[in-house]
Amino acid sequence: MKKIHIPKEEYMVPGNLACAGCGSPIGLRFALKALGEKTVIVIPASCMSIIVGGFPYSAVGVPILHVAFATAACSASGIRASLDMQGDRETTVVAWAGDGGTFDIGIQALSGAAERNDDFIYICSDNEAYMNTGIQRSSATPYLAWTTTTPVGNPKERPKKDIMAIMADHGIPYAATACVAYPEDFIRKLKKAKGIKGTRFIHLLSPCPAGWRIASDEVIRVARLAVETKVFSLYEIQDGEAYTINYQPKGIPVEEYLNTQGRFRHLTGEEMAIIQENVDHQWSRLLKRCEG
Amino acid sequence: MASKITYASEMEMPFSPVSSGDMSWNRTGTWRYIRPKYEDKTPPCNAACPAGIDIPMFIGLVGEGRYDEAWNVIREENPFPGVCGRVCFHPCESHCNRADYDEVIAINALERFVADQAPPLEAGSPVRGRREERVAVVGSGPSGLSCAYHLAKMGYQVIIFESLPQPGGILRVGIPSYRLPKDILDKEIADIQAYGVEIKTNARLGGDLSFGDLEEYEAIFLATGAHVSRKLSIPGEDLEGVGSGLDLLRDINLGKTVHIGRKVAVIGGGNTALDAARAVLRLGGIPVIVYRRSREEMPAFDEEVSEALEEGIKIQYLTGPTEIIGTNGRATQLECIKIELGGEDETGRRRPVPIPDSNFTMEVDTVIVAAGEEPDLTFLPEDIRVEGKMVSIDKGARTSEKGIFAGGDMASLDRTVAHAIGFGKRAAISIDCLIKKRDVNSVLQGVQVGENGILSMAKYLSEVTRRRSPHVVAFEDLNLDYFEHAERNERVKLPVSERIRDFREVSAGLTDGQALKEGERCFSCGVCNGCENCSIFCPDLSVITDGGVVKYRINYDYCKGCGICIAECPNNALSIEKEAK
Ligand SMILES: Cc1cc2nc3c(=O)[nH]c(=O)nc-3n(C[C@H](O)[C@H](O)[C@H](O)COP(=O)(O)OP(=O)(O)OC[C@H]3O[C@@H](n4cnc5c(N)ncnc54)[C@H](O)[C@@H]3O)c2cc1C
Ligand SMILES: Cc1ncc(C[n+]2csc(CCOP(=O)(O)OP(=O)(O)O)c2C)c(N)n1
Ligand SMILES: [Mg+2]
Repeated sequence: MKKIHIPKEEYMVPGNLACAGCGSPIGLRFALKALGEKTVIVIPASCMSIIVGGFPYSAVGVPILHVAFATAACSASGIRASLDMQGDRETTVVAWAGDGGTFDIGIQALSGAAERNDDFIYICSDNEAYMNTGIQRSSATPYLAWTTTTPVGNPKERPKKDIMAIMADHGIPYAATACVAYPEDFIRKLKKAKGIKGTRFIHLLSPCPAGWRIASDEVIRVARLAVETKVFSLYEIQDGEAYTINYQPKGIPVEEYLNTQGRFRHLTGEEMAIIQENVDHQWSRLLKRCEG
Repeated sequence: MASKITYASEMEMPFSPVSSGDMSWNRTGTWRYIRPKYEDKTPPCNAACPAGIDIPMFIGLVGEGRYDEAWNVIREENPFPGVCGRVCFHPCESHCNRADYDEVIAINALERFVADQAPPLEAGSPVRGRREERVAVVGSGPSGLSCAYHLAKMGYQVIIFESLPQPGGILRVGIPSYRLPKDILDKEIADIQAYGVEIKTNARLGGDLSFGDLEEYEAIFLATGAHVSRKLSIPGEDLEGVGSGLDLLRDINLGKTVHIGRKVAVIGGGNTALDAARAVLRLGGIPVIVYRRSREEMPAFDEEVSEALEEGIKIQYLTGPTEIIGTNGRATQLECIKIELGGEDETGRRRPVPIPDSNFTMEVDTVIVAAGEEPDLTFLPEDIRVEGKMVSIDKGARTSEKGIFAGGDMASLDRTVAHAIGFGKRAAISIDCLIKKRDVNSVLQGVQVGENGILSMAKYLSEVTRRRSPHVVAFEDLNLDYFEHAERNERVKLPVSERIRDFREVSAGLTDGQALKEGERCFSCGVCNGCENCSIFCPDLSVITDGGVVKYRINYDYCKGCGICIAECPNNALSIEKEAK
């Protein structure tokens, strides 16, 4: 049996405000296990702003700064600068933003910080829509997925934005994808990132039961299927150039992934075939990049 | 636990909104409408094991290299892991869920591996508190020894009376040492004696002692087996050169010199026939097995038949003996008739029908009859009820006479070592109930594994530990994402040329590396093996892994009832319950 081994230390307490089965607190819990107590987290408007608890309480045992929607990266830059001035090189600064806050509204601040190679870890917890405000599409929403702003009959006709390529092309020292169903991989990547200076970017896939129209107990299974079907691949990029695939997926047909979720229920066989083609294309592109 | 913070006025509030308390005041458990709970279930292997071994538990320990503990887990139910790890027909493996995935777990080989690692027990091994009541066991086969073992561990004073000069029953005098080396048997019998069991050999009930001599005992367990060879009822059976398979095996096993010829016909298709033929081969004879039906109907275990065929033993299927022909009082020819299979008989096997005028003869110098065995019940007092040539017993292994129990081959047609061991355990529980004045029927009901009457001594002795739901885990109940395809680890067999030279053991055990790998393959169906997935993926930090009887607990103050713990449990060791309103 494959047993998962992760650090025992806990930096969260129960009582968080996430919906039952939400992937976000699972991801945050893993992240803190990897990064430890000496961590400051910046959270822009997103579900996570709510999940961790409101004033005067927190479900997280490290300092959190709640900031405006578009400002995750620049706030992290500021905190880093302040810590540097205080001579604190030990504390890790983390920006934890949603896909809306990263792919869309926060991309300007993120691009600026990445270009300056500001020294923090940026984690985009991607649930593929603006979930906190009621499932509006973002540029991370997959092709043809239902959201409240892409209702059936008015589909999202653009593919998911390739945020990894964008970040890699900033030439940052480290970028990696991760998934809540693969805690060891995620934790290893964060530990590695912690040891690198400069802007480090982690794209974490984290299903949302309400928005993806799945049962609360299916979050991990569906996340795993995303990886096993190659819809979402686990890889890392060093210095914007060197690609490494970290997990060889089984390559299950995408249908099996799409069929688990209500947001894809309207898809026709033909549409699923197109999605399969897109996924195969993405995968071969990734393989080419690995070859260099 | 943090409580809510109350500010009496705005003035008390901090200048900037800084958190000063944690969220644990917020009992998110109130959101829950379904409730996960830890609930071990019945593994199919365990439910199929007549001896009731907790198979996933012991295999899990093997996978972690904890061989000694694994040995003890087996011995909670069965004092014969070394014996069973060699000769059991392992119905557990036929029920293993891994069959639907790649190949079943090598449970039998693992059991042997565990036993082969174990050092001998020291005399005076601890029991559960001495009791003065004395129990007599008649017959030292697996059934009698198992009963004596369990009773001795419960603290009773147990004595076994055995008619032969050595203990072990068929394990001693039936199964040859190429399948079960005698030192393995000796070791496991000595381990049973280490709990204070006394064995009196050369003590035959109905000869050396009578039922009257047993009156001083609180209870008697009869386990005298089935040692009377059935006759063929054809002419020539009393010629010289004709004998029974069981007699031949007994003589070989007790070290007597036996004279067998070169051309040997062995009649029958059961374990006795196969073992007799293979023993003959090892003594330099050329055996031919003559069997009325086809391979499918052979009552011998399939692996034995395969091994015999590998060794070059000829099996003449669909052939029935009609007469043994002799010259000067010695068998020289066997006359047979060809047979075809007709409709099903009462045992569900197809009925052999002789083909007229198809008679032929074979040259022989020895004929070994192995057409089944029956119990010898001539020593029984008349008032013990007998049915169909067997002692009749109830679910509690009780005969019609109070205080007299029976089991094993003499009381059942389930004639295997594992069944015999199961009977011994059943009788031990029943005797304990008699002495402690407990209602045996309800007790037995409560200590069942699955629904086929398999009993768990672990359950009987401690009500709390390892409580399991009777639901037998199906393949579909498992989360296979946590398993990888892996080849079954097989034990190596000696090449045929070496095997047949003498009675050395045919199969080698698994190596250390093989056993570890094989242990890791186990799905651990329905049994928590401590993988911690439930805790790892809990979004609400509501799985508490601080040990205790059940390894994990759920903190219902905070569990929101998302069900991830249930879904991500590879083993189906959690269940869901509707939350009470
Ligand atoms: C040749 C052969 C091979 C077999 N191979 C296998 C196998 O590979 N796997 C398997 O699972 N099963 C096998 N079996 C079946 C299995 O051995 C029996 O089912 C099992 O041994 C029955 O156990 P028991 O304790 O009831 O009886 P037994 O093992 O027969 O033991 C009964 C004991 O009682 C003693 N006894 C009899 N009468 C008296 C008396 N009046 N007073 C005192 N003592 C008495 C006998 O001497 C004997 O020692 C085989 C059977 C045979 C014959
Ligand atoms: C400038 C601004 N616009 C809109 C909002 C409202 N708002 C709060 S959270 C949120 C959605 C965030 O989506 P995403 O970043 O994907 O995070 P998620 O909630 O999905 O985790 C929005 C639109 C806001 N807080 N600030
Ligand atoms: Mg989002």
